[in-house]
Amino acid sequence: MPTIEVKNLSKTYEYYKKQPGLWNSVKSLFHREKLYTQAVKEMKFTINEGELVGFLGPNGAGKTTTLKMLSGIIYPSSGEAKVLGFTPWKRQAAFQKQFALVMGQKNQLWWDLPAMESFILNKEIYEVPDKQFKQNLDELLTLLEIKDIVDIPVRKLSLGQRMKCELAAALLHSPKVLFLDEPTIGLDVVSQKNIREFLKKYNREKKITIILTSHYMEDVEALCERVIIINHGSLIYDGGLSKLMDQYIDQKILEITFTEDVSRAQLEKFGVIKEYAPQRVVLEVPKEQTKNSAVRILSDLPVDDVLINEVPIDDVIRKIFTATK
Amino acid sequence: MGKHTAIISNVWQRALGYRFTMYTYRIGELGETLLLVVMWTALFADRSIINGYTLKEMITYVLVGNLIGFITRNFLSELIAQEIKNGTLSIFLVKPISYFRYVLTREVGRVTLPFLMSLVSQLAIMLFFIDRLLFNKNLLTLGMMSIIIVLAFVIELLLGYLVGLIAFWTDEVDGLYTTISRLKKFFSGGYFPLAILPTSYLTISYALPFAYSLFVPTQLYLGKISLITAWKGIGVQCLWIVVLYAIIMLVWRRGIRKYEGVGI
Repeated sequence: MPTIEVKNLSKTYEYYKKQPGLWNSVKSLFHREKLYTQAVKEMKFTINEGELVGFLGPNGAGKTTTLKMLSGIIYPSSGEAKVLGFTPWKRQAAFQKQFALVMGQKNQLWWDLPAMESFILNKEIYEVPDKQFKQNLDELLTLLEIKDIVDIPVRKLSLGQRMKCELAAALLHSPKVLFLDEPTIGLDVVSQKNIREFLKKYNREKKITIILTSHYMEDVEALCERVIIINHGSLIYDGGLSKLMDQYIDQKILEITFTEDVSRAQLEKFGVIKEYAPQRVVLEVPKEQTKNSAVRILSDLPVDDVLINEVPIDDVIRKIFTATK
Repeated sequence: MGKHTAIISNVWQRALGYRFTMYTYRIGELGETLLLVVMWTALFADRSIINGYTLKEMITYVLVGNLIGFITRNFLSELIAQEIKNGTLSIFLVKPISYFRYVLTREVGRVTLPFLMSLVSQLAIMLFFIDRLLFNKNLLTLGMMSIIIVLAFVIELLLGYLVGLIAFWTDEVDGLYTTISRLKKFFSGGYFPLAILPTSYLTISYALPFAYSLFVPTQLYLGKISLITAWKGIGVQCLWIVVLYAIIMLVWRRGIRKYEGVGI
């Protein structure tokens, strides 16, 4: 049985039209026009135990809505989903004790109290036995390096420290499934890296199934072998990250420096010029011609150095998003 | 430590972390009580009885009534409406504890500490007016008073919770909440003893839950209503609890389907 199974899941939100201006606001006291937007359309996928899957998509694509349905926070308009064999929106305690949700933009920790107090409360809510709690706490505090800060009121912690405490709070009951909604949002590069490394290790050691949404491609590259790409509420890609690159990229990037000035005209025949300075150029060339072009450039032009690079993953994702508009 | 103790412990710790807030609240409470005593003393200057109340009874009404008012009041509506509006509710929905129980426990924690604090300040003020106070030492009366107060506390919690849930549809409940608070203050006898009003008002307020949060237990203390009336009152309260609970379950089940968990 797959850990997560989603079948034809759809969600339509209702909202009221608000036209600009005060007068229209006054009018809306008496009459409002109801509108609908389909946030998720016929979503379908399965995820197996221990997988770490990245959800990608631009803002408003339906990633978070899908996560909310899988967490049981909102009800779907139609379709089915099973997580660990449970229907999430029934919110059975047996399900909730086996899963956790971490939201980068919402904190579950008590703002005015040290994180430790929230940990203890979670221990009681999730009914974690004393021994297991102690062991988990010890392990998490060590892994996340937060031993010294759990006694400081949460509001006085930095964003990075707080996020680590959030993760600890979510994992104290050893969930089998973890949903992470932009866990690295707003963090500095060092904190981002720390959290990334922690997640990788934790996923590997505990065989915990993770869905992660993030706008930082570095997160996705470092953590996820498999990605699910969503745009306008529909699934547009589900598979390996490397396969995605192969499938969508038919270019390579040549970065060349010259010993003498070279004109645009001499370079245009090889491919699309991305950046140009008289002695330096960045060219996008068709993948299958990369070798030929490089050889010809080396022999025809006064080359100082050549670098052959992959198209940055950000560009690939951007390309996919715009292609599916 | 159980779930509920842990929640209460956190609320207490939080409240104790803000000494300034705690002290300043007490100043307001003391001030209000003192002003009411001053007002009634002034009104009694040229007469010894107003609508059947002597000055001593009136001061007792104010002091005992206020104390009871502290136990029964809560600010649940705004809190819940906020949690629904800004999506904080999501945090509780994913945990294996019902929001209803969580919130009620939290509120018990939130009310008990200030109550104990108020108790100290109110007892101090009572000590100050000790020669103007009436004391009721009848255990049966005091027992029934306690039952009524506990039930009133529960009713106020349910009512506050219910009003808060309206936010599923409206996002904000300030208007409704304020309207209810105004009516509540009046119908509970928070401004003056309801006995001053014509009987028809009194009959209405006996059927509503609010009078039991202040007026009824205080009257009972003063020996101005019979035990029979008090028993009937307890019946009315139980009825309200059942009705409110049923409505809450219904509203929750429908409202939670409207919830969108914004902000994540």
